[in-house]
Amino acid sequence: MKTIYSWLKKFSADLPAFEKLRVDLASLGFSIDNIQKIGFEGENVFVGEILKIEKHPNADRLSLCEVSTGAKIHKVVCGAKNIAVGQKIPFAVVGAKLPEGVLKKAKIRGIESEGMICSAGELGLYGYDDSGILVLDNSLTPGTDIREIFDKPDYIFELEITPNLGYCLSHYALARELSIFKGYKLEELSFKVAQSKGEKEISIEIENPSDCFRYLGLIVKNIKNKKTPMWMAERLRKIGINPKDDILIDASNYVMFELGQPTHCFDLRNIEGKKIIVRRAQDKEKIKTLDGEERALSKDILVIADEKKPIAVAGVMGGFYSSISQDTSDVLIESAHFNPSAVRHSSKFLNLKSDSSFRFERNVDSEIQDKAAYRIAELIMENNPDAFISQIQDERPSIFKRDPIEVKCDKINSILGSNFSNEDIEKSLKAISEKYVGAMFYPPSYRSDLKTIWDIAEEVARFWGYSNIKSETSMRVMPSKDHPYHQALSFIREKLCSIGMYEAINYDLISLKEVKAISFNEKMAVELKNPLSSDFHYLRPSLLCGLLKNLKYNLNRGVDSIMIYENGKVFALENGKILEKASTAGLMFGKTREYYWHAPEDFLDFYHLKGAVSYLFKDIANFSFKPVNEPLKHFQKGLCLEISVSGKHCGYLGAISGETLAAYDIKESEVYAFEFNTEVFLRYFEKDFYVRIKKSSPVSQYQHSVRDLSVVVLKKYSWEEIKKEITGIRDLLWVKLIDVYTGKNISPDSKSLTMRFMFSSMEKTFTDKELNSKIEEIYNKLNKVFGASLRS
Amino acid sequence: MNRQEWLSKLSALKSDFDRAVSEKKLSQDIERDFLSKKGSLSLLLRELSSFSIEEKKELGSLGNDFKKSILEYLSASPDNISKSKVSSDLDLTLCGYPYPHGSVHPITATTEKIISSMSKLGFSLEYGPLVEMDYFNFEALNFPPDHPARDMQDTFYLPHKDERGSDYLLRTHTSPVQIRTMQSRKPPLRVISTGKVFRSEAVDASHSFVFHQLEGFCADKNISMSDLKWTMESFIKDMFGSAAKIRFAPSYFPFVEPGAGVEVSCVFCSSHKGKCPVCKSTGWLELIGAGMIHPEVFKACGYDPMETSGFAFGAGIDRFAMLLYGITDMRQLFENDLRVLKNL
Repeated sequence: MKTIYSWLKKFSADLPAFEKLRVDLASLGFSIDNIQKIGFEGENVFVGEILKIEKHPNADRLSLCEVSTGAKIHKVVCGAKNIAVGQKIPFAVVGAKLPEGVLKKAKIRGIESEGMICSAGELGLYGYDDSGILVLDNSLTPGTDIREIFDKPDYIFELEITPNLGYCLSHYALARELSIFKGYKLEELSFKVAQSKGEKEISIEIENPSDCFRYLGLIVKNIKNKKTPMWMAERLRKIGINPKDDILIDASNYVMFELGQPTHCFDLRNIEGKKIIVRRAQDKEKIKTLDGEERALSKDILVIADEKKPIAVAGVMGGFYSSISQDTSDVLIESAHFNPSAVRHSSKFLNLKSDSSFRFERNVDSEIQDKAAYRIAELIMENNPDAFISQIQDERPSIFKRDPIEVKCDKINSILGSNFSNEDIEKSLKAISEKYVGAMFYPPSYRSDLKTIWDIAEEVARFWGYSNIKSETSMRVMPSKDHPYHQALSFIREKLCSIGMYEAINYDLISLKEVKAISFNEKMAVELKNPLSSDFHYLRPSLLCGLLKNLKYNLNRGVDSIMIYENGKVFALENGKILEKASTAGLMFGKTREYYWHAPEDFLDFYHLKGAVSYLFKDIANFSFKPVNEPLKHFQKGLCLEISVSGKHCGYLGAISGETLAAYDIKESEVYAFEFNTEVFLRYFEKDFYVRIKKSSPVSQYQHSVRDLSVVVLKKYSWEEIKKEITGIRDLLWVKLIDVYTGKNISPDSKSLTMRFMFSSMEKTFTDKELNSKIEEIYNKLNKVFGASLRS
Repeated sequence: MNRQEWLSKLSALKSDFDRAVSEKKLSQDIERDFLSKKGSLSLLLRELSSFSIEEKKELGSLGNDFKKSILEYLSASPDNISKSKVSSDLDLTLCGYPYPHGSVHPITATTEKIISSMSKLGFSLEYGPLVEMDYFNFEALNFPPDHPARDMQDTFYLPHKDERGSDYLLRTHTSPVQIRTMQSRKPPLRVISTGKVFRSEAVDASHSFVFHQLEGFCADKNISMSDLKWTMESFIKDMFGSAAKIRFAPSYFPFVEPGAGVEVSCVFCSSHKGKCPVCKSTGWLELIGAGMIHPEVFKACGYDPMETSGFAFGAGIDRFAMLLYGITDMRQLFENDLRVLKNL
């Protein structure tokens, strides 16, 4: 809420200086933003006229000016560049009070200056050009005190008022709050209005008392002068409300910001049947609201109606046809207390928010309706001596009663961890409500937020200050436990970082185009009902969307190598249910390492990718890679494998397809990526540490023996098939492929494989003879199964 | 071979060794020639198997003395491998091998630091889904359906209904984890949760529709606001150093009462003389929202608020990360610019 310091002061004359007020407000839970200082604070600054300008004899950048303030001519030194003869300027005479201090007589470079030509900044004025001296309107008379030209010093600031402080949404209420909690004196509200003539022209009927707790109608007749006074228009403008120069509209707004009660004025001529009915709208009923829009209503919208039709959406906005016009002279002022959720419901349903609905939703004071109506009447009648109040009707189907709260000081202290005495607590609560009898606290009518002892505890803390809460504890000792998902993510990050991958974090929301690019069945994508824009319309079905975007972003910035990964959630719709799964994905492209003088460049390929995935899964699960006949659209056919864990599908790795790359506008090829469900890692870390860790196996005390073997086989045989055949050999610790060769001396349908074998026994060191026979055994097997021949 | 032959063989080997030493033969070659399995001394010692016990003793000790002296020489001799094999004209200023070095994202690093700080205070991690039910995100947290507090958090909805007939939504805070945890477990509880949250807000330097939150709560007997303050202070000192201070001011979140905003003294002021851009020279940063768990929240979880008490707190992790890493534009956190990631 935009707030004016001087307006607050109207209700509490002894409010402190602004800086202190600011601290007070913060200590009560109001945060302040956009502070604007306006007006001039000082003395002895007058309008001057520059009569003559000469160069300062001892300084290039300074001038000597003669300034007239009517009665006297002053000689001054001035450094500004924008001075000119004939200008009217603010002139501070020696001894003037300025925001930065009292102006003294001074010698500037040897010449005495009898005052100062001021800039806006030097006068403490904000919102003016401060690059040079402040040039004033030329019609001003020299010698005029500039306090007559500028506003008195004041502050305008934005106050953030959280929903629990909804009872402070006006200047009066804010002053009241400060008065209660900080002890400043509060002016009582009083109005000068004539008695009602007691006519009974309009009847008011509330159909359902739970929708409307109070409806006060006040009729003012014979209004001739509808001009809004200057001071009111000025205040409205300062808080960001555009004055309409119609006292009926402006006073209604003004009172809302003054007292917090929204009101509405109906032209008496437009209330058909002389009846006001507060009721729910009928089906298919419509209303054209003040903003000119025709709105369809529903059965649960609360309206103000006359005998024939709705004339306002209760608490939200008035109707177009019943509103006041230029020639309105008789009005009914509505000042009501509507059910907060009824107003909120209407506002949501109609997608229509107003300062009025904002206040009703936060609940208004049930005792302020009459005061607000009187205040409007007073403001109207100030400039309308012939106007009179013809009728006041205050319909209150039930007086709003709040339950008292039993105050237990022990409980308050146990909530706050404080040791306030009973007297301290009583003092703070009595400041809030006079009605504090025995241990029973009766909240004031405007405090609908106070319901329980916890609410009371907060008030006590606000009153005495949150700084009175000590920082100390008697909490029991509790061991903390790590979570398997957290451990899984930490493990994955550690591994992938160790091979040089960088972690990325992307938005979870993507466009339809991206959904399509990632080969996902569009119908399985999870959509938002109210997206911010089409770019962020769907929940991502794959983490690769983000990583591809990151690739593009970095390629555009000249990166020639990228290895990134992300942990996150992916989403899909299956049988109408939203599935949310933890996923891990990585992407590789470009050079394997930074430039290195000692070795040639090397590029990331499929086997780097496969190596990374193997390294990740190695100790976690019994995993294998399986060929994929029909890969997902975003993987390239023939360059894609499935990751399978204990026979179950877990994810994919492969080269990104050209089509998908094109969708991301990536011209480069050979982009490799993996993505898998993180669940497997979670399962691993769910096991206790001592269970999941690998057990040590004994190593031989005897020497290991290494032997190599090169064979030629047909290309159709995969390494996996061949390896499987070898694996069973006795005493073979491992076999590794150390070279694959095709080309010269090898027939085109064949390849040469060089394998290295490591033999080890727990019992002995092998002799040459034994080793030779093992190699022979292997060769014979390969020869028999795959037709392998020795490489010549 | 008889005794005499054996002894003359030994003295021949001794002169071979002296020669090898004077020729500055590589120690690894000397070791191989004399001491390896097929080395001359090893073979000579093996010959002793055919001698008598007395001779074995006598000759064996002579042979072993020699073996000892070779070993002594080898262990004392300077490493002549490096001397001879590596030329001394290498440019040692050339850069070393560029081992790959990945990194974790600044948000993750910050999250990890927070988790470790809180775990020292006995808080354990829990997680919750991003697609959440209205009940867990709002209703059970004391945001009744028609309450204006709901306007504090602009929400993304999904066109699918949950089991209670409300629209699914993207969680607007990590607080639903409080409800999920309290409903499935019994006090005493000391829990934190971290993760992504979503608000329908336009993106700019300090706003994002996706960001990260820390959530924490404690539910036990006789928990007071002092315990909350102590916990916050301990956490903040671990994050920003023991000189960091905190202060409480009233604040509002529907799921706590009393509510508090936790301000942290700006530890960055000292490096900016006069004008601190981090706290705008106010000296304080509002970093955490906190309070005592609202009785309605306990009731929604089946706890008796007169029996169980507790506190809850929440903070934006992105804000912490930006402060710690000196990042001024929130968008940078989601760009994944390698030039930035590699620097961290």
